[in-house]
Amino acid sequence: MSENDDNIDIIRDFVQESRDALESLEQAVIELGRNPGDTKSLNVIFRLFHSMKGTAGFLGFKNISSVTHAAESLLDLIRSGEMELRTPDHINLLIQAADFAKEALAELESSMDDKALSVKAEWLSSILHQALAKKPDTQAVEPNEAEPPAVAAGDEPQADQPENKPVQKPRAPDPLLGPEMLERFIQESDELLQKFEQDLLEWMKSPINMDVVSDAFRSIHSFKGNCGFFGFEDLEKLSHNMESLLDIIRTGGSVDQASVAEALLSLKDTLRNAVADISRGGTGLVKDLDDNLRVLRDISQGGKLKSGKTQGGGRLGEMLVAEGLVTKEALSKALDTQTKPLGEILVDMGATSPDAVNKVLSRQIKEKAGEDAKSKQGIIKRQDIRVDLEKLDSLITLIGELVIAENMMVNSPDLTGLPLENFGKAAKQTSKIVRELQELAMLVRMVPVSALFRRMIRLVHDLSAKCGKKADLILSGEETEVDKTIIEILTDPLVHMIRNSIDHGIETPHERRLAGKPEAGSVRLSASHEEGEVWIVVEDDGKGLNKEKILAKAVKLGLIGGDVSELSDTETYNLIFLPGFSTADQVSDVSGRGVGMDVVKQNLDKINCKIEVVSRPGKGLKFTLRIPLTLAIIDGMLIRVGGSRYILPITSIKESFCPKREAITISADGQELVRVREEFMPVLRLHELHKITPDSVDLPEGILIVLDSAAGNLALFVDEILGQQQTVIKGLSKYISDVGKVRGVSGCTILGNGEVCLILDVGGIVETTQDRAGAWAGAGD
Amino acid sequence: MNDRSGSSAMGEETDDLEIEEDSQKDKFLTFRIGEEGYGLDIRHITEIIGIQKITPVPDMPDYVVGVINLRGTVIPIMNVRRRFGLPLKDYDPRTCIIVVNLEETSLGLIVDEVSEVLTITEDCLEPPPRVSRGPNSRFIQGLGKVGNEARMILDTKKILYDGEPARAGSAEQE
Repeated sequence: MSENDDNIDIIRDFVQESRDALESLEQAVIELGRNPGDTKSLNVIFRLFHSMKGTAGFLGFKNISSVTHAAESLLDLIRSGEMELRTPDHINLLIQAADFAKEALAELESSMDDKALSVKAEWLSSILHQALAKKPDTQAVEPNEAEPPAVAAGDEPQADQPENKPVQKPRAPDPLLGPEMLERFIQESDELLQKFEQDLLEWMKSPINMDVVSDAFRSIHSFKGNCGFFGFEDLEKLSHNMESLLDIIRTGGSVDQASVAEALLSLKDTLRNAVADISRGGTGLVKDLDDNLRVLRDISQGGKLKSGKTQGGGRLGEMLVAEGLVTKEALSKALDTQTKPLGEILVDMGATSPDAVNKVLSRQIKEKAGEDAKSKQGIIKRQDIRVDLEKLDSLITLIGELVIAENMMVNSPDLTGLPLENFGKAAKQTSKIVRELQELAMLVRMVPVSALFRRMIRLVHDLSAKCGKKADLILSGEETEVDKTIIEILTDPLVHMIRNSIDHGIETPHERRLAGKPEAGSVRLSASHEEGEVWIVVEDDGKGLNKEKILAKAVKLGLIGGDVSELSDTETYNLIFLPGFSTADQVSDVSGRGVGMDVVKQNLDKINCKIEVVSRPGKGLKFTLRIPLTLAIIDGMLIRVGGSRYILPITSIKESFCPKREAITISADGQELVRVREEFMPVLRLHELHKITPDSVDLPEGILIVLDSAAGNLALFVDEILGQQQTVIKGLSKYISDVGKVRGVSGCTILGNGEVCLILDVGGIVETTQDRAGAWAGAGD
Repeated sequence: MNDRSGSSAMGEETDDLEIEEDSQKDKFLTFRIGEEGYGLDIRHITEIIGIQKITPVPDMPDYVVGVINLRGTVIPIMNVRRRFGLPLKDYDPRTCIIVVNLEETSLGLIVDEVSEVLTITEDCLEPPPRVSRGPNSRFIQGLGKVGNEARMILDTKKILYDGEPARAGSAEQE
């Protein structure tokens, strides 16, 4: 396809859009499988295949369009009730078609063509056609029996396909059309009408340019098609007539160019108003449809356009007649000789009085203004634009730099001691704006988890079939937004966890019946904002973790030694994240090699995500993933120990206080403990951890900061708290992680004076203390 | 804590010895550590900066002394004396950080003093001496003859990444 070279962008868009569409398509197909009477899903699937077919056909991707066309035809038969939906045959077929489309899109992306898939496409469309041909009462189709190079259904599979269904049967505005589709229709209509307008204006400038007329013709034609599909009959009728008029012009019919163009423009406004009306939930009816149609007919028959004022509160002449202020004869006479504004002519003719004309004119203006205001409200809001992620990232990096630079400037040592009242004000304002800018920039990167979650629907569907189990996926909190990078990193862990839940967690229907549980297991996937983090919970109602089995296996693998009875539940469950750990007795093709949970842990570590495991034997297993809200900027507390400064994430700080001597005790194993109200918590001296000389080693002379962590509270001993600060996180160099394993530090930032300052990671610090406690315990043995 | 002594000696002087040489073959930046002269392939060097405040990073091999901010980028700093297992020396106005870039990784090397850029053609390069001169010989790529003197040409990659066991050697020497 040679013209494809010019179409690369269009193809990319197509691929991108189709990917999005496929995701909702898959979901809808599975929904339909579960609930065969769901006409809404059926319609959604039909439309998605239909639109993909359309674009693929336009771009010349025969294979995609033939498969999607066949799928669409099948759906149409089902939709019209001529064929009954058979599960799972039809559902499987539709999933296969969706899979094919996915594969084809990947192929398109790499080679810009779908030719490589012609064999598979032929095979798939032939089995789809087979399904089409079968009467509902015949034997079920066995799609998997047909092997790929099956008998080809001719060069053009579409040709022999029962196209007897009138696709364009008149429909009332379909209540089943989803709001998403409607929204797309509105956006698209808006674009089409705008294009139409541009073309017309261009044509007014250069009347001999027939290309623009053709363009306008195409735009209005597409618009008409859309309206027809959505059942907006008035719009369809009107645009159809406009199309006919343009066709006459295009094929050389003689018309008064200026007046025709003006009429078309004003009709376009009518259309646009109607579309705006639809966007506000209106019916899309055109008020003076007949008037408008008559105007068009008049022009088409070579008649002159009477007056430009077709919209608004009706035309002046007609209004005057309706009010009984002028007679019809006088009006038509005036119109025939019109060279001046109509009102003036009528007055000149003595057909009416200036007062009456003015009165009606002012009403006309008022009505028109009302309409204008209404149409302004209805201006369609663009929902989104696609932006290159790289561009976005460099914008965010720049904003990060701006935050640092702003800090540097405001805290510049040159300014200390100067009376800078105005500078202070300006600086404060700047800070505020920079802060807002930064928040906004962060928001830009946030995307809802819904797409990620929806991908899991398919996974659960496939896996439960494969494992011979029944499982439902229940989603909640899909609208929760997280950073795009996090979404990418989360995908694999979620797949592994859900896989584990279904393969190991959820029992077979038989076992479940015996255990008194419903046959179908459930996997809950939810997202929510908690404690300044995003929590993603994966929960199943299967058999839970087997503690004994895990411990036995861990001892066998030599992962832990000695007395295992002292391990807490949490510690035991954390063993499943070790590489190579699996309690599965045999390796299935779904899971059991012991790689999964290790991958989960590795990926989640990358984004500083904490995992909590809660298992209730026989009842189920729950993973909670606690993800930091954003990766790039945090609210930090600047602290000092000796000459070193550190940032602590504010979210992990609970409180801080100067300890009293009597609140401090030392436990038997040498660990310092501090009592805060009723609770004793271990004290960690930051200066020991980082080998710094502090101002004082005496606890009451410094400050203890209570940190919240998964393993409980902890008091960090520092010299001084310097203040709160927006902190732009920078990674420590890759070299650092190559040559050593830094613990207790999640990254670094650049302070106002240009110095690098480490950001402490509370989880890591806790781990370090636990290790040390372990070492002490070991030394004590 | 050793870095702390250095930071006090950091002072205001930042030698703007930025070299804007074309990356060229056979050119080596020579520098001194103690009495010995060394050379680094100039193609790996991005710039030379004065010593500045270094933020220590915990859990690092002892020769990685911390990180600095180089115009908004955080780069790790290695003390070459430590890398070679030599006794430390207080930073002075001649102390420099040579910033090298190897395979997208930037790193600063603290050296006693930067000397000059020399052209050493291949025929003046000899393989490193057979007889091991201690644990540091693994960093030496060859010997470059300059007049009557010899400069040890260092292998940048090995300086950055070659194994941990250097510490055993350094412990002996100290």
